[in-house]
Amino acid sequence: MGLLGKNLFAGMAVTARNFVGSYFDGGRKERLVTYQYPEERMPLPENSRTFPFLVYDEDKDPVGTMRCVACKICEVECPPQCIYIVMDRDEKGKPRQRPKVFDIDISVCMQCQICVEVCPFEAIKMDNDYEKSQYGRFDDLVEHLPDLLKSNDYYRQIKPTEAGAVDAKLKAEKEKKAKKAAPAVVPKPVPAALAPKPAAAAAAKIAIPDDAPFTPEQRQWLSGFLSALGAGVAVPSKSVAEASASAPAEADASAAASAPAAEAPAGDWPWHDAGMGMQQRMDLVKDRSFADKLMAAMAQTDCHACGYDCRGYADAIAAGSENDLSLCLPGEAETESMLKKLMQEAGKV
Amino acid sequence: MIQPITEDVPYKLSPGPDGLIETQTLEVSIGPQHPSTHGVFRMDCVLDGETVVKLKPVMGYLHRNHEQLAEKMVWLGSMPYTDRLDYFNSMANNWAYALTVEKLAGLKVPERAEYIRVIMAEMTRLLNHASVIGFMLQDLGAWGTPLLYAFREREKILDLFEHVSGSRMMCNYFRFGGLRVDMDEKALAMARDIAAKFPAFLGEFEQLLTENELVQTRCQKVGILPKELAVNGSITGPMARASGVEYDVRKVDRYGVYGRFDFRVPVGEVGDVYDRFMIRILEMHESIKILQQALRDIPAGPHISPEVKLRNFKVPEGDGYARTESPKGELGFYLVADKTGKQPYRYHVRPPSFINLTVLEDMCLGQKVADVVIILGSVDIVLGEVDR
Repeated sequence: MGLLGKNLFAGMAVTARNFVGSYFDGGRKERLVTYQYPEERMPLPENSRTFPFLVYDEDKDPVGTMRCVACKICEVECPPQCIYIVMDRDEKGKPRQRPKVFDIDISVCMQCQICVEVCPFEAIKMDNDYEKSQYGRFDDLVEHLPDLLKSNDYYRQIKPTEAGAVDAKLKAEKEKKAKKAAPAVVPKPVPAALAPKPAAAAAAKIAIPDDAPFTPEQRQWLSGFLSALGAGVAVPSKSVAEASASAPAEADASAAASAPAAEAPAGDWPWHDAGMGMQQRMDLVKDRSFADKLMAAMAQTDCHACGYDCRGYADAIAAGSENDLSLCLPGEAETESMLKKLMQEAGKV
Repeated sequence: MIQPITEDVPYKLSPGPDGLIETQTLEVSIGPQHPSTHGVFRMDCVLDGETVVKLKPVMGYLHRNHEQLAEKMVWLGSMPYTDRLDYFNSMANNWAYALTVEKLAGLKVPERAEYIRVIMAEMTRLLNHASVIGFMLQDLGAWGTPLLYAFREREKILDLFEHVSGSRMMCNYFRFGGLRVDMDEKALAMARDIAAKFPAFLGEFEQLLTENELVQTRCQKVGILPKELAVNGSITGPMARASGVEYDVRKVDRYGVYGRFDFRVPVGEVGDVYDRFMIRILEMHESIKILQQALRDIPAGPHISPEVKLRNFKVPEGDGYARTESPKGELGFYLVADKTGKQPYRYHVRPPSFINLTVLEDMCLGQKVADVVIILGSVDIVLGEVDR
């Protein structure tokens, strides 16, 4: 062993080196690891995650332009079950395709990011805000819809790469949809002024110049009014962006509703619009095939909660490869009971 | 039975039958406070003087119903919960669970994902072994110094984990058939940096500890676990290897791509606390070797196999057990899928911490009470995994 305690001193040399090195290490700053929080904050990596938030597209109308359609996939998939969603409906009970209540209990949330991964609409994303201390233990830790809504600009700011990819994907999807919708819209006998061409919506957007003397509320109302005018349906609460996105479908639906359903060309599904009520959709498919009827009973969000899109799920049930009728989450009990009724009518139960 | 020491009943030193002082045994409850026992864990020691004559581990303070919860959830839903088993090594736990489900579902994992898995698992091993040595020396009375040196290195690895997965400890990074996100160039550079600089830290650590006379006198010939007992008690991981059992699941099963790497399995001779300490140091050296090979050979390609569905993931009916060499030992999952295949019908974890803890009494008998704490420290337990 040699001199007893020799290696003790060798160890102390290490501590001395570390002590001195924590002040002077040749400018490498490797050993200076203390951040003087809260004056000084560590830069967070882009992937860093804490709690989820909901993305909306335009500051003018956060509720109208939020991407969430209340399909409830995240509510079902959330491992600790911390999400609670109620779909927003108008007076007649038609779904508005957005949540009325969206609560996340952040005392239960375990920041696992599974809600983000399963969301087909890029509507829920992870925040990196970690200063969430509250005085109360219960209600203060439940985040409601207004707390959860954050703009896409904020998302771009905290996660530039990820948000860029999401934006590109959404843009591509929108273009694809517009291309698909365009030929179906053209032959419809709609008055020229209300023609649901994307240009009309764009014109509505241009109608209010940026320097026009309006308050934000007035601007919001006006843009909603104009876009609704462009879309041919009076929905003042909807903003330009959403209206322009859904304009072809809505005009399509209203035109189809006024004309008999049989006039719709084959392969075109006028009922495929989540804004319609169940009864209206079922009326449209009175004379159509069994699979079309099944499809019309779905919520029409194409959310893939069942594992298919609306068409695919209907075809799978009609073909007998899918026996579970309770898979349509956004359709809730209404869809399930309608599917059961249709199956009974067809004698397939 | 504890003799009350009060004014009324003076403590008498009465001569026993053999003419020596009669002594009584004393029952001492160590724990369940967190600092001394590595979590909420209690040891019921019966002492004769300072010598331990009986020791009963008491567990269950951190029971979270992990297995039952998982049986009520879809397959993916349990993945973030496995992070919380052994909260030091979430990546290793993720791997064990993903490996079992992949075995059940017959999924193939892309090459790149396999390499990243190896990198993450070996990083986990580095941080676990460095910290557990720090904790053990904390138990010896080295207040903080080795622990904080270890934590400083662990911090760099946690930074890498946060950069890659978004979270420092609860990574939730593995997916069935691959990984959640790819490792970008910056992350690979960080990993290379860690692999390049860690040996310098290890050298410093060894200079500080391995030949230190105090460490040697306190650790050598203390808490010996004989080879036969290690085998009979199903002890795995560094504990078994310190007792001379050459058993490493990475070598036995060669799961993932471990068959391609050149590394050795260090094996101890005596099986005392010092051997367990040294085995961990040597394993860190081997881990660095694996890391360097993996980072050199990592191929390009997808990080998750494209046929895997994230939602409505189903596995065929059947059961399966898969195991990995987690830093604490053999971590295995036994899963049974019924004919719906949506969620596990039975979900069982084989936790290394829990099974390694079962020989605690055998190691502690006849030792001094002051050594019980370091023997516990050398087992390397995390109560999240023991109690589940």
